[in-house]
Amino acid sequence: MPAKKSHLVLPVFLLGTLIVLSACATRPEPGKTKMAPLELEKPAFASPWVRYKGWPSEMWSDYSTVAAVVPSIPAEPIKIEGPITGDPKKGEKLAYDRSRGGSCIACHIMGKPVPPLPGNAGPDLSDYASWGRSDEFILNYIYDHRKIKPDSIMQPWGAHKLFSVDEIKDIVAFLKTQKSPAEFKDNLENPKTRPIPVETRDNFDPFLNEAMAAVDKGKELFGKEGASKKSCASCHTNPEQTFRTWAASMPRHESRLNKVIGVEEFVTRHARATTGDDYLLQSGGNLALSIYLRYLSNGQPINVDTTSAEHKQAIKRGTELLGRKIGQLHMACVDCHTTERGANKWVRGQWLGEFRGQIDHFPTFRTSRSEIWDITKRFQWCNVSVRANELQPGAPGYGDLELTITALNNGMKLSVPGIRH
Amino acid sequence: MAEEMKMRATLQGDVTDVKVLMNHVMETGLRKDPKTEKFIPAHFIDHVVATLNGKTVLDAQWGIAVAKNPFINFRIKGAKAGDKIAISAADNLGTQYSGETIVAAK
Repeated sequence: MPAKKSHLVLPVFLLGTLIVLSACATRPEPGKTKMAPLELEKPAFASPWVRYKGWPSEMWSDYSTVAAVVPSIPAEPIKIEGPITGDPKKGEKLAYDRSRGGSCIACHIMGKPVPPLPGNAGPDLSDYASWGRSDEFILNYIYDHRKIKPDSIMQPWGAHKLFSVDEIKDIVAFLKTQKSPAEFKDNLENPKTRPIPVETRDNFDPFLNEAMAAVDKGKELFGKEGASKKSCASCHTNPEQTFRTWAASMPRHESRLNKVIGVEEFVTRHARATTGDDYLLQSGGNLALSIYLRYLSNGQPINVDTTSAEHKQAIKRGTELLGRKIGQLHMACVDCHTTERGANKWVRGQWLGEFRGQIDHFPTFRTSRSEIWDITKRFQWCNVSVRANELQPGAPGYGDLELTITALNNGMKLSVPGIRH
Repeated sequence: MAEEMKMRATLQGDVTDVKVLMNHVMETGLRKDPKTEKFIPAHFIDHVVATLNGKTVLDAQWGIAVAKNPFINFRIKGAKAGDKIAISAADNLGTQYSGETIVAAK
């Protein structure tokens, strides 16, 4: 039990003063100017990075990522002669096809009958035939809307090679059959009346939240000696006191690495430099210690620095990243998570939340996947969901994003580990 | 070492709801270590007994099908607030585990 060790240390404190001082001269005291020892050379993740098992294995190297912009030029409008004669039956099938990037139903209401749980991030198209749009307009809007309505959150389905021109012609034919407002079986089917999901489970109940076991495991690891015959508790004799607010002030810019790092990467690099343990990012040990350290700061308001020059620059970079269109689906964070765009709407059966409210509970237990996810894994999943290659954990872009989004959550109280669908 | 088990017993009407969360690897013996390619030896809880004030109310024999960190939830009649519920478990290597809790009124 690490808590008991502190009592043992006290009687020998005077005798060991010199040793303790030399061993712990650079212990990380938040807010102090002394720098915590960090290992700075090796990657903090299992290198080379390989995408998680069970995730889509497709690669989208022709499209932008959080790390790099691949230019995507809006397509010139396609000219067509006369009305489009596509096959509405084929078009209906394509419109519902989830293998092509989520299907039109993800964002639009359409079809008779409407497929289950349509989204409403885009307009209701159930009476689109009466909107008076020309065939050429509809074709071009689906192919690449950017020359028509640049600020739309829609995807350039043709220009980004998700549908061929002929397939889009079939979809146009299907849309022209949409003549009367949709009827819904019940309130759940209608995205306007579907109840907003609210998480009411007690995330600190170990019988409900499996991730609470990670708190115990983290505490155990904190007291475990590493290769250097030292444990975290050797220097941090009173973790409850020392780390009461620390995690709520993370992530922060680390000048020796020239990037923003969160609790997770700090644990990896600090343990390498002190106890000799190697808690790679995304490993169970890293998650357990990161959860434990945040658990000690639970209830504290999130309070990342937004005023230092480094943080101002990082937030500027992060804000640019929030608006960067990435992936084959050509979507930015702001498209789904700002109220001006898709936030507080449905993508199929999933509710899109705002940036505020997305940080306080990470790492969180995901009941749908029976896994604990830290914020990096959440970012990676967002990337893969819009068909953009994810970055490796600890990538500078994720650090900038974590800081920028955490700054938008300043003042909210830390509540880790969370539990979510 | 993390604690062996977490327990909670709450009285709801005349029924007591008992929840137990055990800390155990529950190795089946059929899993290979990805590094050494060798089978990881079987290590699982095979016997669980629950008692109410010393009297057995549940006696279970388990096999390898039970997941890691097992969770048991059962209900018993006739317990009162303040009664003692104890669990004793043993695994195939002979290690004994125990836990106890006091029935709490809801």
